[in-house]
Amino acid sequence: MLLEAPRFALPETLGEALAARAERPEAVVVAGGTEVMPDLLWRNRTAAGFLSLRRVAALRGTTTDGGELVIGAGTPVAALTTAPDGGLRAAASSLGTPLVRTEATIGGNVVSALPYRNLLPTLLAGGATLELTSATGTRVVPFDGFVTAPGVTGLREGELLTAVRMPVHVGFADYAKVGRRNAQFVATVSAAVVSRDGVARLAFGNAGPTPLRSDAVDTAATALLDGRATPEDLRATVAAAVDPPEDTVASAEYRRHALGVLAVRLVTRAAVDAGLGS
Amino acid sequence: MSAVEDPRTDVAGGTDGADGSVTFGLTVDGTAHEVTARWDESLLTVLRDRLGVRGPKTGCAHGRCGACAVKADLGDGGHVLCACLVPAATAAGGTVETIASISGPDGALSDVQEAFLAEGAVQCGICTSGFVTAATELLETNPDPTRPEIEAALYGNLCRCTGYGRIVAAVETAARTRRAATR
Repeated sequence: MLLEAPRFALPETLGEALAARAERPEAVVVAGGTEVMPDLLWRNRTAAGFLSLRRVAALRGTTTDGGELVIGAGTPVAALTTAPDGGLRAAASSLGTPLVRTEATIGGNVVSALPYRNLLPTLLAGGATLELTSATGTRVVPFDGFVTAPGVTGLREGELLTAVRMPVHVGFADYAKVGRRNAQFVATVSAAVVSRDGVARLAFGNAGPTPLRSDAVDTAATALLDGRATPEDLRATVAAAVDPPEDTVASAEYRRHALGVLAVRLVTRAAVDAGLGS
Repeated sequence: MSAVEDPRTDVAGGTDGADGSVTFGLTVDGTAHEVTARWDESLLTVLRDRLGVRGPKTGCAHGRCGACAVKADLGDGGHVLCACLVPAATAAGGTVETIASISGPDGALSDVQEAFLAEGAVQCGICTSGFVTAATELLETNPDPTRPEIEAALYGNLCRCTGYGRIVAAVETAARTRRAATR
């Protein structure tokens, strides 16, 4: 441990981090601090102490394992702006600012699990899985289903998210979001696409309480991709599949409309990309 | 020390004495310090209120404006970040370089600072140390940036006076000056 105080633990290894997790169940796990620090400042949350993962070097960095990108949970978002996956690149590049992206981590983005988080639709569309590690071992679970409610995940007591595994797709992947202004904005709604071998898969952010995808939407998106359906068909299918929140940022009706627009935009980009032969 | 600057003073960690405090080493602009702070305090409040290092400014305090930008090495080689977002004790044993490390030890201005003066890129000045810090980092990795590259690198720094045109021009001038000097 680099530092051990009653209300602050600063482990240097994963073993130390897991021990501290077990010993301090009340502590808030913090990585980059980019969400937790403003939350405390604005009293959006209280905390009994910090368990900081910022100095656990083993959690940072990306490797490949077979056909998968293995992204350490402590990898800063800045590193993902040059990822081989187009969806990750686009979602990471539009998160916060360059000064935030050097500290914000993929693990924090996933575990904070709010519907507007940038990386979540990309992970869902890409079929990502998560490595969850505790003192007794590691289990790998699909990202699909991991978020059970806004800010709530299937992470168990004593567990830490240690890596995100993303299949490396040969094909097209992208992400788009809309917000209330054109700079430094949080997604009012967002969408991600993966398309390969003529099949499109979409996922949405802020389209419901948790990251959302549906077989009906993917069928309609694939039909649009190969010219068997119109953009209106896809928009109608998306509108029927989503259940967006109504809040002070936007109405549910606006979000339903905008999600259809983003879906058509992303599938159109995928079609153009396929036409260019990549 | 100002209670207005950090409203967390009276919430968690504020009044529980020894249990809520953390003590750690931190090197700032070449000077080693032993810091005692509340567990939930930001690196920015430690720099400004505990150590009297006033180069980094408190602007938005939540990572949007970049007025608190410093270069910090938290065991990973170092990069520019928002000091307001970093729990201070996270930097235990680390090093921080503020705007004071960019200018010379005798107060001599760096080429980037000279360019900001020459181009009229400073008005009220609260954003300036953050802009100079981000621009200096840019020129170290990209000595000949295009205008869009400069704008992208400074996306995390807000200025409410200049309209940014003079700031971008200053970075272009600094880049030109530096390239001419190293030719």
